[in-house]
Amino acid sequence: MGKIEWAMWANEQALASGLIYLTGGIVGVAGQFRGWQFAAFAVAAGVFVCLLEYPRSKRAKGTSVERTGQYCFSVVVKSFGPLTRNYYVRAFILAALCVPGGFMLATVLGCVCLGISSIIYLVAAIRGEHWEPILPRKETKTKDTGSMIRPPQNPPPRPPPDMHRKRVEDLGGAAYDNAIDVTADE
Amino acid sequence: MVVVSVRSWVANEGGKHFVLMLWLGANIWLFMKTFLLYSTGKQYHYLYKMLGLGLCISRASASVLNLNCSLVLLPMCRSLLTFVRGTHTVSSRKTRRLLDKSKTFHVACGVAICIFSVVHVSAHLVNVVNFSMSYSDDFPALNLARYRGEVRPMYSHIYMLFPGVTGVLLVLILFLMFTSSSYCVRVSNYEIFWYTHNLFIVFYIILMVHMVGGALKYQTNLEAHPPGCLRANQSSTEQHGEELGQNEDEERRCREEAHFQPHCPQTWLWVSGPLCLYCAERLYRYIRSSNPVTIVTVIRHPCDVIELRMLKKNFKARPGQYIVLNCPGVSSFENHPFTLTTCPTEIKATFGVHLRVVGDWTERFTQLLLPESRLDMEILPMVQQRRYPNLYVDGPFGSPSEEVFNYDVSLCVAGGIGVTPFACVLHALLDGWTGFRLQRLYFVWVCRELQSFYWFAELLCAVHHKLWQENRPDYFNLKLYVSQPDSLQCMSEERYRPLTSRLLVGRPKWKLLFDEIAKTNKHKKVGVFCCGPKGISSTLHRLCNSARSSGTTFEFNKESFS
Repeated sequence: MGKIEWAMWANEQALASGLIYLTGGIVGVAGQFRGWQFAAFAVAAGVFVCLLEYPRSKRAKGTSVERTGQYCFSVVVKSFGPLTRNYYVRAFILAALCVPGGFMLATVLGCVCLGISSIIYLVAAIRGEHWEPILPRKETKTKDTGSMIRPPQNPPPRPPPDMHRKRVEDLGGAAYDNAIDVTADE
Repeated sequence: MVVVSVRSWVANEGGKHFVLMLWLGANIWLFMKTFLLYSTGKQYHYLYKMLGLGLCISRASASVLNLNCSLVLLPMCRSLLTFVRGTHTVSSRKTRRLLDKSKTFHVACGVAICIFSVVHVSAHLVNVVNFSMSYSDDFPALNLARYRGEVRPMYSHIYMLFPGVTGVLLVLILFLMFTSSSYCVRVSNYEIFWYTHNLFIVFYIILMVHMVGGALKYQTNLEAHPPGCLRANQSSTEQHGEELGQNEDEERRCREEAHFQPHCPQTWLWVSGPLCLYCAERLYRYIRSSNPVTIVTVIRHPCDVIELRMLKKNFKARPGQYIVLNCPGVSSFENHPFTLTTCPTEIKATFGVHLRVVGDWTERFTQLLLPESRLDMEILPMVQQRRYPNLYVDGPFGSPSEEVFNYDVSLCVAGGIGVTPFACVLHALLDGWTGFRLQRLYFVWVCRELQSFYWFAELLCAVHHKLWQENRPDYFNLKLYVSQPDSLQCMSEERYRPLTSRLLVGRPKWKLLFDEIAKTNKHKKVGVFCCGPKGISSTLHRLCNSARSSGTTFEFNKESFS
């Protein structure tokens, strides 16, 4: 029951997988194992996946929590338009990136984890989810700050300002008006 | 800026940090002990020469993993912890305060498992390389590689070896569990977290057979073949038949070839106890929640709150505890926790919860309980002859708010619907306040809207009047705050006069409140209980740790929702 947002989970997984892919690639290149070219590719792919997955999407319902400093990544990812908005494309990209990692031991874990993230993104895409950037809310400063904050215009027990205009017309209302202006003692 | 006082900090944080130090110390000790065993132990002499540091690190991290995998289950045995919390003879107040942090301990063990898994896997990868680089011609039984320099992608080796296959599966499951337990996934889609976390049973089963058919072998015949004696044997075979007559050679002569044997799996020794305990706990909770409850009344309150009164046989609860509701009519697998607002007593056997309609489960549940047409806010109870849905209750489970009665002075701070644990406390006071250790209760309730106070207006006035009648006017000190001043209404009912005279507009000034409480309760320990948003609880936590000139100590207890 309930709408599960698969994309959020897929995003967490993909970010973690990207890091694992990157680490495995670094180990593979540093150790100069056989097939280290695959490891070098894994390093590049890992960095790319991390950059792509770092900005969190806006949730369809509920509050979205940003990752620290994700605004610039969000803007960059948003600029690719439908390529990054659509989760089918993302699932395909992740699946394609993970395949070369399967040829080397150091990167095989990253490959499998990315593969799982790709599957979850596919599920999210089938359910019709898409990526929305979290943009900062426009500053809505309320002009009318409420009677609590605006200081009173008249000292008590004077009538409100519009009563002054009616002084001449409404003699009945004049009962509320002070005959003498109250000033401070000089 | 508030200055942190050593005494307040120790009173509040000392216990937690002590347990943390103990746990870290146990991990470090275990790591070093296993490391030294493999680097200096005689039975691993040849293996160590072949593999080097990778052997020691992988085995040391494995033993730390064993420890943490067994400890991680214990804080999740909620019924057991509730029982320990309830028996005041077994545990002191300090121990019970430590139980509040059981989820934090679980997370700490989980993080340690992830970190050491990474260390363990890396060390084993290095071992694989070393097995082929240092292929041993002297001891062919010890080898894993088929020939020297076999540094290939190694699939045929790793994945045909049982520990390799199980290791990859374990890491995969751990990865799934770890990524779905981040804060935002738990908050947004709790089901994903719950279902992936229940893969733990697969994890443990695989973990227990992980070492079968292992690649690391130890030497079994140490007396007959002291390590390092091979050279002496080789040199002495040339003189075979001659009398040697040298004592050193006698000691270092090998009588036979070195025999090697792989380890038996040891993880089950560590893990089976907590695993059985946890499975027993889950079974007990399942059986206990299997008989459905009878819904007695459903009352609609203002600001989207529904009160539910229920009856269940043999249900006993203490004030401050919470239950978990499961309604198959709404969703078969979702379980939602709610704090009890009334506990069953000898006089009245019903118990109740207040639930705020926030997500889709609560919305659907409310639709099943009440007719949809009446959407206006009413306080009148609507008792109707209708078929209520089947409801199952699991619990009750303990929470920090049970300790309110065990301090001389308590300060309860509630934010919005967070007042529910304290409502139960107030009901208990209404039934009989003389039996508790509590001598003074400060109650601060902050709400966004004035209407919210109607949830418990009757209860607050009843407690106030009772204590005034019984000549204890200083027992119950109430302060109500409305944080959003727009569209201010007032409580015009005469019977709620004690509330309106204690109602303040705006956010509370916590420092002044603490100073006032400290001045009137010198040299006492004040229990601070907070159930509300993060902002309030972190401010209160900071204030509890700060310096106090009047000798009052504030002990902070926080109720958490997730």
